[in-house]
Amino acid sequence: MSKSVARQALSAAEIEQFGAEIDALRERTLADIGEADARYIRRIHATVRYTELAGRGLLFFGIFPPAWVLGTLLLALSKILENMELGHNVMHGQYDWMNDPRFDGKTYEWDIVGTSDSWRKTHNFKHHTYTNVKGMDDDIGYGLLRLFPEQRWRPFFLGQPLYAVVFALLFQWGVAIQDLRLGAYFAGRISRDELGEQFRPIGRKMRRQLLKDYVFFPLVAGPFFLPVLLGNLVANGLRNLWTFMIIFCGHFTAKVAVFPKSVLKDESRGQWYLRQLLGSSNLRGGRVFHILSGNLSHQIEHHLFPDIPARRYAALSKEIQAICQRYGLHYNTGSLWVQFGQVVWRILRYALPSKPASLEGRSLVSD
Amino acid sequence: MSVIRPIARLISPLVNPVVFDFWAAHFTPALSWERPLAKVVAREVVARDTVTLILRPNRHVRQGLPGQHVNVTAAVEGVRLTRSYSPDWSSRRRLALTIKRVPEGRMSSWLTQRCRVGDVLEIGPAFGDMTPPDPAQPWLFLAAGSGITPLISLLRHAAEQRASTAPITLLYWARTRADLCFLNELGRLHERLPGFRLHTILTREASLLPHERAGRPDAALLAELVPALDGQLAYACGPAGFVGAVREGLAGKVASFSAEAFTPPALSPVTESQPVRVTLARSGRELTIPAGMALLPALEAAGERPAYGCRMGICNTCACGKLAGSTEDLLGGGINPEPVAALRLCVSRARGDISLDL
Ligand code: FES
Repeated sequence: MSKSVARQALSAAEIEQFGAEIDALRERTLADIGEADARYIRRIHATVRYTELAGRGLLFFGIFPPAWVLGTLLLALSKILENMELGHNVMHGQYDWMNDPRFDGKTYEWDIVGTSDSWRKTHNFKHHTYTNVKGMDDDIGYGLLRLFPEQRWRPFFLGQPLYAVVFALLFQWGVAIQDLRLGAYFAGRISRDELGEQFRPIGRKMRRQLLKDYVFFPLVAGPFFLPVLLGNLVANGLRNLWTFMIIFCGHFTAKVAVFPKSVLKDESRGQWYLRQLLGSSNLRGGRVFHILSGNLSHQIEHHLFPDIPARRYAALSKEIQAICQRYGLHYNTGSLWVQFGQVVWRILRYALPSKPASLEGRSLVSD
Repeated sequence: MSVIRPIARLISPLVNPVVFDFWAAHFTPALSWERPLAKVVAREVVARDTVTLILRPNRHVRQGLPGQHVNVTAAVEGVRLTRSYSPDWSSRRRLALTIKRVPEGRMSSWLTQRCRVGDVLEIGPAFGDMTPPDPAQPWLFLAAGSGITPLISLLRHAAEQRASTAPITLLYWARTRADLCFLNELGRLHERLPGFRLHTILTREASLLPHERAGRPDAALLAELVPALDGQLAYACGPAGFVGAVREGLAGKVASFSAEAFTPPALSPVTESQPVRVTLARSGRELTIPAGMALLPALEAAGERPAYGCRMGICNTCACGKLAGSTEDLLGGGINPEPVAALRLCVSRARGDISLDL
């Protein structure tokens, strides 16, 4: 008998039924998508633009501390909204049905140093398809942190509380190089030239971003070069911290599960849904909080329906909770502080050696 | 005007076109960094269910020839829809679109009923071969319904140029008198084009006036209305059925025949085993695949290598543009007869012949 990762063991037939209920919910939601969603994303886009203008405008008067603080916060707000509710969700193709080139998932380019193309590959494809499958989903610890006992401990991880802080502060850079095969390079499996080739588009994007925030706008400010530069630096840093926090709360809280590669074999749609549910965790909060998190506070719904406009997740989450209750499945949610506390605990706990846990034989189905 | 281009080219690496357009629209709605847009400056009802919109294009819209079509895109209930219309270019800075409402047609209903002065439409590049014919030869124009629009442009063009001294005959089919467009203008056209003759043929009118006719476009009616068919350059425009009938009726009798047919989107309920034709616009390939199969595996079986990731509709890697045809979303998204910018091949199947941007 194999060990089930679901708290409540479900049979194959039950999982299919569970999947069918989620499919029905999906169909109902899709049928309702239209003008209101289009208006919403246009409004988000406008808010990004207005807050950016206001933030950058105030920073030109950054010699006065209140203007500097407010300008920096507005610019950070603009970047957070752009990265999360706009960029992340648009790149999932959530608004492709509008046929609007501004919101086209395949061509959208977001305001961080990472390229959208590499994100579409590491995140949209690998992370969303192989969510929490060890060895397939690079987001598990980002190759830098040990967050689950199932990852083998090495002395390197003793320093991870420190790496985590640095990683959080520089999160956009981590995202940018995630797809670079640095490991393969250091192991001598790819040449310097091959690595350079891979780096070229990333380098171009990095240069563009650096020029924009740290050369162009400070220069435009003339004598106020320094306050503008600092404001941009802090705004980028705040955005980094915020996105790190939200994203880590999505998959690394106490009760999320990781899976062995064997679950992928002949995985049905129902099982895929179940894996998304068990591998994700939500955050409770108000409307503004959800928008600022790009609705990734509804990580479970985002993983079940990555292509449905994120503003729908709040309503969907009520229905998903009801479904989970019917099947006796745990719905992982909590406040930001509780969930983030668990993330911090994982970072600290698994820096230290622990009894190795094996994924061997774990499956989603019990029978 | 002439200074704008070099300056634009100089600063273009610094400009994000979407951001530029966002702010530009606060000042003039049709101002754009690179997109061909046009603002509606006037609106007039010209016949039953038929509206003419006068547009002022921005500098990215390229003027077409009389008789050509353009793709017009408008946001209708949050979705950008695209349809072809034949505009009349009175100058580089002004064009007129005449739209007849098609029952159940989302775009034509919006353009005729909801579109208002100040709205902005996107205007694609002009295409089509119904360009002004040789002025020395007699012309025979045949229009049905809104098929009149490219032909009226050609007639206006001829009247302006006073180029044609040869006879021009227009046979114009409509259901009833109230459905005829440009009637006043057509009635006065012989003042400027002495060789112009107009026949209106009404298929559903209860009582006909002396100069009106009834009847389908068959060989007998054509021969009766146009006694000397040989030597005519024939241009026909209308629904596919009409164009087919005219083509048959004129076969072998006229000097040349060109036509443009528009077909209302047919909701073709294909059966699963039935083969459908897929046109790949970029490579120019045409393939036949089984209708029941998802497009990604079907294209692969036919030797194509589209990009893919998850193969289950979540990563969007396989998405490509659909230029025409009806598709069904296998993940519960229903049937979509519209062209779309991003169609996920792994979870869609064709509901008839389609054309993809691959
Ligand atoms: S291959 Fe991932 S959506 Fe089609």
